[in-house]
Amino acid sequence: MKRFITILIVLSFTGLTYSQNEESKPKDKPVFAPFESGYLIDNQTTVIPSAKTLEYIIQHKFGNMDNGFSDLFGLYAPGANIRMGLNYSLIKNLQVGYGITRLNMYSDFSAKYTLLEQTRLNTIPVAVAVYVNMGIDGRNKDVFGKDYKGADRFSYFSQLIVGRKVNDWLSLQINTSFTHYNKTDSLIDHDKISIGINGRAQFSPQSSILFQYDVPLKIKGIAEHRGFTNPSKPNLGVGWEIRTSTHAFHIYVSTANGIIPQHNAMFNQNDWMDGEMMLGFSITRMWSF
Amino acid sequence: MKNRIIILATIVIGAFALLAFTVPQEKKKGGPWEIPAEYKTMENTYKGDASLEKYGKQLYAKHCRSCHGNEGKGDGPKARNLDTDPGNFADAAWQNSVTDGELYYMSIMGRDDMPNYESKIVDDEERWAVINYVRSLKE
Repeated sequence: MKRFITILIVLSFTGLTYSQNEESKPKDKPVFAPFESGYLIDNQTTVIPSAKTLEYIIQHKFGNMDNGFSDLFGLYAPGANIRMGLNYSLIKNLQVGYGITRLNMYSDFSAKYTLLEQTRLNTIPVAVAVYVNMGIDGRNKDVFGKDYKGADRFSYFSQLIVGRKVNDWLSLQINTSFTHYNKTDSLIDHDKISIGINGRAQFSPQSSILFQYDVPLKIKGIAEHRGFTNPSKPNLGVGWEIRTSTHAFHIYVSTANGIIPQHNAMFNQNDWMDGEMMLGFSITRMWSF
Repeated sequence: MKNRIIILATIVIGAFALLAFTVPQEKKKGGPWEIPAEYKTMENTYKGDASLEKYGKQLYAKHCRSCHGNEGKGDGPKARNLDTDPGNFADAAWQNSVTDGELYYMSIMGRDDMPNYESKIVDDEERWAVINYVRSLKE
């Protein structure tokens, strides 16, 4: 695990170092489409649609598929979740967004900025992006217990993403994230650090296989308790992406029942080793102005 | 009387069946394009750039294939919903009749059924990658 974090840090700084030397080298151009969409199952990619693009997204997860055929692998099961969101690219490589989610009646505000784009001649060998998200739990205030304050509803997620288009058909990303909830149950920590790896393997001009694996870490240094009570579990996902001129479709199975990333990092109790996965899909529609 | 009804029904059904075959052929051809002079003589700065071949094909699949079809013959799944015939990129005579600049204008600026792609394909290199791929569909 330590090795993974070390690689992540080294890659990030490598990118920054290259950017400082950019002026002294021949002009290089960003690689073509490292990813086809800003979304990758439950994760974000380093890609942001071109400036002044409005993106509408519907993300849906059915119920847990561990009951097998009896509830048609979760299609008839309770616990479905849905998010509807809007994103807008204000300028090149900067996107802001807002969405609402059924689970916990979250409203979330997000921003993503691509600091560096990978270039064809390897002047910049990786793409680097920062993604932040603030969630507001919209449930009745009784849920938050005694001494309720409005700030109890807030949760925060920040993520550093480092990606590389390895070749024409394979793109990979690693990420590290910090999650904070202002209010959690008494035995659950308020903070969580996670790492993850994800990518896409393109097998036709419009279709790719997607995968993700996010691991919430149990770090004693930031823990508030001697032990970890119900620590969140890794989020595995595998999916199929289809891209058209204005749409991206994802059909996938993933472990976590949440859709906004801080919920998955902090609360996911589904274990893919026990077959606790959920069938889901995402649809994006883009308009350019 | 019964026989007449059967004959009449057969004629009506047969007429509708034949009508189904005639509809696609009645799709009107788009009129001549009014292309500004600067596009007619516009130079393709990426002509023959082999590094763009794969990406041009991907962009074509993403943005053009649904109407223009896999081989550019205007037989994509959305073509039947268009008011005008999307044309045939495989037609050598048509390919020879347009310059790269004219093709650029038709592909990126568009008109009527043909959408504008200025904000969807932003980079000039990507635009020429599509044009080069369309050129490669000539038979």
